[in-house]
Amino acid sequence: MTALLETRGVWQRFGGLVANSDVSISVGRGEIVGLIGPNGAGKSTLFNLIAGVLPPTQGSIWFDGENVTNLPAAERCQLGVGRTFQVVKSFETMTVIDNVIVGALVRNTVMRVARRKAYEVLEFTGLAARADVLASDLVPAEKRRLEVARALATEPKLLLLDEVLTGLTPTEAQTGVALVRKVRDAGITVLMVEHVMEIVMPLVDRAIVLDLGKVLVEGKPADVVRDPKVIKAYLGDRHAVGA
Amino acid sequence: MDKHFAARRRRDLIIAAVLAALAALAPLFVKNVYIQNIMVLTLMYAALSQSWNILSGYCGQISLGHALYFGIGAYTTELLFTKFGVLPWFGMLAGGGIAAVIAMGLGYPFFRLRGHYFVIATIVIAEIGLLLFQNWEWAGAAMGITIPVRGDSWLKFQFMRSKLPYFYFALALCCLAWFVTWWLEDSKWGFWWRAVKDNPEAAESLGVVVFNSKMGAAAVSAFLVAVGGAFYAQFLAYIDPESVMGFQFSLLMALPAVLGGIGTLWGPVLGAAILIPMTELTRSYIGGSGRGVDLIVYGTLIVLISLALPQGLVSLLSRSKARGATR
Repeated sequence: MTALLETRGVWQRFGGLVANSDVSISVGRGEIVGLIGPNGAGKSTLFNLIAGVLPPTQGSIWFDGENVTNLPAAERCQLGVGRTFQVVKSFETMTVIDNVIVGALVRNTVMRVARRKAYEVLEFTGLAARADVLASDLVPAEKRRLEVARALATEPKLLLLDEVLTGLTPTEAQTGVALVRKVRDAGITVLMVEHVMEIVMPLVDRAIVLDLGKVLVEGKPADVVRDPKVIKAYLGDRHAVGA
Repeated sequence: MDKHFAARRRRDLIIAAVLAALAALAPLFVKNVYIQNIMVLTLMYAALSQSWNILSGYCGQISLGHALYFGIGAYTTELLFTKFGVLPWFGMLAGGGIAAVIAMGLGYPFFRLRGHYFVIATIVIAEIGLLLFQNWEWAGAAMGITIPVRGDSWLKFQFMRSKLPYFYFALALCCLAWFVTWWLEDSKWGFWWRAVKDNPEAAESLGVVVFNSKMGAAAVSAFLVAVGGAFYAQFLAYIDPESVMGFQFSLLMALPAVLGGIGTLWGPVLGAAILIPMTELTRSYIGGSGRGVDLIVYGTLIVLISLALPQGLVSLLSRSKARGATR
C-alpha cells in the first residue's frame, strides 16, 4: 500500500535562507509520526508546505496517491488534510460550537447535519460542556483542544498537529496525549510537530528528526533518542561523545 | 442544545414579524407627511445598512464605498426608464445585477488587499465613480436626470399624492434585507463569512475558500444596496451624481450598523431607528445654516459607542442576546 503522505525532494528557500533542503519523508496510514528537531530546523516550514499554505520552491508533495504540490490549503482540506496552528487561531467572536461547525461544513452542507457532527466532535474532544461559550473565553489548553476539534470536524485522513502539547501543564499534556491516541484509534493518521521529547517519544510510532532543514535521522523513537547525531544536534558535540 | 439554538432562531423570526406588522400599521396613526418621510428614510437606511452589514459586518471587509452601488442602482433604473422606457421594476433588478457584477469585478483585485488598504480602495473607487457620472454627458452629467412623473402608478412605481406606497416598499425592502441576513446567518455562507472575518488563514485550513466567500458577500451586499438606490431614485423623482452617489451614503450605510452592532442581525435596524430620525430632526430644527451639524452628531455618537460599547447597542439588550448576536 502506498504511503498516505509523501514529500519528494522538497526544498523551500526564503531569499537566501534555505528552510528545507531536499526533504523526503513519508507517513503511512494509521501511524503517529513525530516531527522533531531543534529550533529553526525547518519543522514549521515543512508543516506549512504539507498543509498547503505555500508551494515548495522545488520538489513535490503527494497525498493519498495524488500530487497535491500546487493545491491551495482549502482544497487539501477537502482531500483530507486537517491541521492545527502552533499559535492558536480560534474564531474569537464565534462560539466553540460555531468554530467547529465551520470545519464540519466541508463535508456536510446541510446545517442540521453539520451542527450534529460538530457536537459529536466536541464530545469526542471533551469540549461539549463549553459548546456555547465564546472561543475568546476559553483558557489556553481548551483553545488547543478547540484547534484539534475544528480540524477533526473536517473528517481528515491525516491530522497535522503543530505543537499542541507544548506549554501545557503535565495533567493537560496527559489529556492531550490520550486525545491523540484516541484520534489514531479512530483511524486517522497523525503527523505531529513537538518540542517536548518526553511527551512525544512514548506516543509516536516513528520519529523524524530535522536539523538545519534536512532530515537528520528517522526511526523508532527509542533508537532516535540514542542516536549520537540527534544528541549532537540538540545538545552540541561534547554530549554526543558521552552517549 | 440544538433545540436551544433553533428556539433562538425562531424567536428572532417572530420578533421581526411582529415589528414588521407594527411598522405596517404605523401610517394609520401617523398622518403627518414630514414624519412619514422620516419613516421612509429610516426604513430605507435600515435596509441599506443591513445589506452593507453582510459584506462589512459578517465578512469583515469594511467598505466605505457602497455609495457606488447605491448610485448604480439609481442610475441604471432611471437611464433604462428615461432612455428606453424600461419599467423601474426591471431597472431595479438590472441595477442590482450590474452592481453585483461590478462588486465582484472590483473584488477581484481588491480582496487581495488587507485591512485599511481595502477600506481606502473602496473610498477611492466610489469617488472615481462619482467623477465619471459627473462627466458622463449621456447620463446627464452633473445636471442629473429628472424622472417624468405622470400621476400615480404602481406599474411605473411613481406616486405624487401619497408617500405610503414608498413607505410600504421601503418596509418590504427592509424586511427582505433582514430576512436574507437571517437566512444566510445559519448557512454555510454565513459561517464562512464569520470565519473569514475572524481569521482567514484558519478558515482556509478548514476548507473555506476565502476569496470566493468574499466575492459572494460582495455580490449579495451590492445587489441589495442597488435595489435601495433604485427605490431612492423613484422616491426623489430626480437624481444627480451627488444626490445618489455622494460619500455621505457610504457613511450612512455604515453608521447604523456600527452604532447598533456591526456583524449582528439586529444591529443595523436598531442603529437606523435611532440614527436616522435623530439626523433628520437635527437637520430640520437647526435649519439650513446647520448643514454639517448632523455630521457632528454622528461623530460624537460613534466616538461614544466605540469607547463604551464597541459591540454596539445590541450588546446592551442582554448577555444571552449579545452572545446570540455575535454568533
